[in-house]
Amino acid sequence: MINFEYIRTSTTKAAIDAKAKNAAAAFIAGGTNLIDLMKKGVTAPERLIDINGLPLKEITADAKGIMIGALALNSEVAENPIILSKYPLLAMALNAGASAQLRNMATVGGNIMQRTRCSYFYDITMPCNKREPNSGCAALQGQNRMHAVFGTSEKCIAVHPSDMCVALAALDASVHISGPKGERKMLFTDFHRLPGDTPELDNNLSTGPGGQKGELITAIHIPTNAFNKSHYLKIRDRASYAFALLSVAVALEISGSSIKNARLAMGGVAHKPWRLPAVEKFLIGKEATKENFTTAANMAMETATGFGRNDFKIKMGKAAIAEALQQAAQKI
Amino acid sequence: MEKIHQITETYFAEDRKDGVDKVTGKATFSAEHRLDNMAYAVFVCSTIAKGAIKNMLLSEAKRASGVLDIIYHLNCPAVPGFNPYAKDPNKKGYEWRGLKVFNNNQVYSNGQPIAMVIADTLERAVYAASLVKAEYVKDEFDTDFEKSKTDEKKLKKPGEYKRGDVDAYKKGEVIVEEEYTIPMETHNPMELHATIAVWDGDDKLTVYDKSQGPKGVQRDLAQNFGIDEKNVRVITEYVGGAFGSALRSWPHVPAACIAAKKLKRPVKLILTREQMFTMVGYRPHAWQKIGISANKEGKLTGITHHAVSNTSTYEDFGEGIVNVSQFLYACPNVNTNYRLLPLDVNTPTWMRGPGPATGCFALESALDELSYKLKIDPIELRLINHTDVNPVNKLPWSTKFLKECYAMGKEKIGWQNRPTVAGSLKEDGMLVGYGMAGGVFGAGRGQASAKGILRNNGTLVLQSAVSDMGPGTSTAMVKIGAQLMGIPQSKVSFELGDTDLPNGPTQGGSGSTAAIGTAITVVCDALKQSLKELAIATVAAFANLKPDALKYENGIISVAENASVNILYTDLLAQANKPEIEVVKDSARASAEAQKYAMNSFSVHFVKLHVHPVTGVIKLKQIVSTADAGKIIAENTARSQMIGGAVGGIGMALTEEVFTDNRYGRYTNANFSDYHVPVNADTPPIDVLFVDKADIIISPTGAKGIGEIALVGVAPAIANAVYNATGKRIRQLPITPDKLL
Amino acid sequence: MPTQKNNSSRRDFLKKSTAIAVLSIASPVLVKAAENDDKIAALFEQIPLRLEVNGVAHTLSVEPRVTLLDLLREQLHLMGTKKGCDHGQCGACTVHADGKRINSCLTLAVMNEGKKITTIEGLANGDKLHPMQEAFIKHDGFQCGYCTPGQIMSAVACVKEGHANSPDEVREYMSGNICRCGAYPNIVDAIMEVAPILKND
Repeated sequence: MINFEYIRTSTTKAAIDAKAKNAAAAFIAGGTNLIDLMKKGVTAPERLIDINGLPLKEITADAKGIMIGALALNSEVAENPIILSKYPLLAMALNAGASAQLRNMATVGGNIMQRTRCSYFYDITMPCNKREPNSGCAALQGQNRMHAVFGTSEKCIAVHPSDMCVALAALDASVHISGPKGERKMLFTDFHRLPGDTPELDNNLSTGPGGQKGELITAIHIPTNAFNKSHYLKIRDRASYAFALLSVAVALEISGSSIKNARLAMGGVAHKPWRLPAVEKFLIGKEATKENFTTAANMAMETATGFGRNDFKIKMGKAAIAEALQQAAQKI
Repeated sequence: MEKIHQITETYFAEDRKDGVDKVTGKATFSAEHRLDNMAYAVFVCSTIAKGAIKNMLLSEAKRASGVLDIIYHLNCPAVPGFNPYAKDPNKKGYEWRGLKVFNNNQVYSNGQPIAMVIADTLERAVYAASLVKAEYVKDEFDTDFEKSKTDEKKLKKPGEYKRGDVDAYKKGEVIVEEEYTIPMETHNPMELHATIAVWDGDDKLTVYDKSQGPKGVQRDLAQNFGIDEKNVRVITEYVGGAFGSALRSWPHVPAACIAAKKLKRPVKLILTREQMFTMVGYRPHAWQKIGISANKEGKLTGITHHAVSNTSTYEDFGEGIVNVSQFLYACPNVNTNYRLLPLDVNTPTWMRGPGPATGCFALESALDELSYKLKIDPIELRLINHTDVNPVNKLPWSTKFLKECYAMGKEKIGWQNRPTVAGSLKEDGMLVGYGMAGGVFGAGRGQASAKGILRNNGTLVLQSAVSDMGPGTSTAMVKIGAQLMGIPQSKVSFELGDTDLPNGPTQGGSGSTAAIGTAITVVCDALKQSLKELAIATVAAFANLKPDALKYENGIISVAENASVNILYTDLLAQANKPEIEVVKDSARASAEAQKYAMNSFSVHFVKLHVHPVTGVIKLKQIVSTADAGKIIAENTARSQMIGGAVGGIGMALTEEVFTDNRYGRYTNANFSDYHVPVNADTPPIDVLFVDKADIIISPTGAKGIGEIALVGVAPAIANAVYNATGKRIRQLPITPDKLL
Repeated sequence: MPTQKNNSSRRDFLKKSTAIAVLSIASPVLVKAAENDDKIAALFEQIPLRLEVNGVAHTLSVEPRVTLLDLLREQLHLMGTKKGCDHGQCGACTVHADGKRINSCLTLAVMNEGKKITTIEGLANGDKLHPMQEAFIKHDGFQCGYCTPGQIMSAVACVKEGHANSPDEVREYMSGNICRCGAYPNIVDAIMEVAPILKND
């Protein structure tokens, strides 16, 4: 790994200023993804700004919802009593990701900012438009078993690897962001980008309307909801400690046997957590039956397109959505 | 061979001899030896699959902080064993059989070491290595096993076998004819391969190396560098797993020695996890086609087994994949054919259960398929075709307790609950499947030497230059020594992992216990003989007696016919004024026995699993592994070996596969995140049942071998259970969730 | 590739600073100043680090790129913590930082300023083994022993976190530690046996 400057900051302002001054600087919190990428030579910041001293660890709840500081650890969020009782989908998703050790290091902000695990992105000898714009996408016709079936472009078919983010997308969360000129917030589902012509951009931090250089995620807010049934289903190549082939986050409000409200998002299928609004709309007002779940699942995968080795995800997606809905509905 | 006597008593389970070192972090693995002035070497690897290095761009790296040297083909000091014929036109010299690191500008595979940066710290060496770039002249290459496996122009080395009629299965009453594939699988022990080399002058070399055979490394290095074997010392105190990957020396071993010699200081070279995929072997990609037939009663009438596995272009590596079909079951007509496909990849090597692990996947799956067609229980089908005489050499087995394995395992797994119609049983909403399959591996007894030092403080030190990659060789040897000398295990130690000790075998092929255990047996006999002679010479009461008139029991030398005339061996040593007596003995290979008997270890594995009816996700519920491994010397460690083999088999069956992008000839999942070895959550409760009957023909220890049969047969047992649960036959491992949709 | 851009100028810049960078311990004022001043920041190519390892306080000067794992192994010569993958994919490097289990390969040493690190060497009380170490021996929770320090550090934390209530829970919460010898069932047995004892402590 190339050497770099390392500075510790104790205020959000100092951290943001330090980053705004140097385009090749990076924030570091847990470091579980960034250090890995630096070791592989995928990224090489000139300056690391350690933000672990910033006061962004708190989790506070009120009637409107819950605010999770960006530096809260994945493990702390997953074990938080309010999260467990009111937002169990998030806890399930968090616990489905990585390992106990990594969840003790990784922060909520870092989890959102983690980069794709596409093996061509990680191997600096291979073409990859995300790592090196206009070098080509080796995954398109390569080993793309793990890759996207929704929202792809000819430039990139990588997926966002997070489990947590799939739950946040389903739960209508928003991202709180600070920059040199002030704060802004964004719907979580607007935060990550599709690859389009600029796959090098994972998300809208420091870009888009109101974006500023040096922006930092400070918190995540999840609004209070009435979902009384939820489930996170993850299918992977081994029973634990593996990225998703695909995953499904389901949150339902069921009264009697009828679905009052529904949220559905998928992981491992797109460059961002993939919300399925049309399917949610279909489910709302329907009975919670196997038939409706199957119809919803088929509807969800209608627009999916495989690239050869990941064609199975279309069939698997249908099975997983139907099963996740069923599992959620069966919960007491 | 001297007197053979059987060890009959059952050893009680006791803890591993090196347990405390391992749980406290005190066990020192190869990269962990601390030497003054150590420099760190890091490999730079090729990024093309085939071609020649046109130019090495070194200036950036040379200027990086802490860089001491960069060694590559143009400045690498000559390694005599790499080019032995330069001064030897008769080609009699030793030639290093592996990749000759930095010997020329040729690239034979992607990820091959092409340069080595040496720096004063690890971080600086790693960084500088990232700055070295190569320019290549690229050649056309082929890494595509699937495409080339039937390309007659590329296949080489047909190994053929035939008895009875060729392809007799085609005329059989009930026929199965199918193809089976296993992908490239890697050993990936947890400890990264590492070598520390330090020279004393130009001709004395000490190496700390991760190796399953320190003596082999010593021989390789002596020959490579043209120095006397006695001037090469190889130390392998602890080995963090290997499973075959450390059976031979790979390029990093001479490379560390080259660097240490050139820099005249100790050099440590540790492979990265990625390099563990491209440099230290793997189980080859293999395609198999089996045709098998039986009459309606289930008697096998023909087996045809063809296999192709890959090797590299610079070395041939083959293994006995099709052999299992020749001898495991009684069948009058068998023909097999095995060929190698050279690809532009690194060389494969023996990986746990080499040959049979691959072969049994095909054969034991095919038998399972046949059992459904015949409507005969798969265990019954195997019993119908059981043989006590090896059909290839017509020799009886030294011991074969396979039927006992079937019986024990069948009961333990609850075989009576197995549905006879696939896909017909549900439990808690899950599809339930039961499967079984057999495993086999060659047994025997290799040559070994050992030293015994019996001290007047009551301790016995046993020594042999072997290494212990995890099975618990020390523990087993201590138990054998303690038992034979009749002294407590706490007073016995076994020293290993140093070529200064008497010559021991390489740890591989499940042969350690039989080989070294026999040497220990011979040593203990010699120690007893020495004690008797010493008693006669020293103690008045024994004077004039012949050694045969004395007996040794539980540390006491006595007159055979009058036990009241006796002396404790420690008292004897004290009286004789000897602090210790020492013997070094050899034990021979079981060559004569092999003329008279077939020798194998056997296992049968049973699996119960659930398959989710919608998502196809498999959940293993229970594995029962039974083994005829001869006498079980150390129950605790033997059981652990069996469990470990089962977990290896889970990986083979369900999760492990190296992916290659054939457009670049490069592996795309050379890491522990994307190459999935099983984790704790993949592993169900595992029951281990041993027949535990001694085979004293193979060795006086009664042991046969465990390490390989622990894995061989597990993968087909799982695949067979998956079929039983779902009605889907997966013939291409691993059985990942997408294959069951 | 971004790594290769401006390497030489960047290195020269950092190198110039090395001469004056050998300040053993920087004052908090300097640390603060570095937040705003590039030149002062450059002094930190070798930066001071204070941390406690197994109860022993260390005052060190390290390159920022040195991971906690490499610091422990190559500089403090605490070889009990193992390198299995160096990418957070195996758990062999598991240590406790302020009582929490982490992968020491994915944290920079300098990020652990002021923390209390416990490695396998710090688990036993003198010659008296920790109950988890004893249980691993009793249940033969290993073969080669290489992943073992990481398994044991992880196991102690697993119990402390309250994730050792059933074999299935242990299997899941111990899945961040790969054992290629496959000792998992014995590891689960060891943890299940010792969990009630540790919980009561």
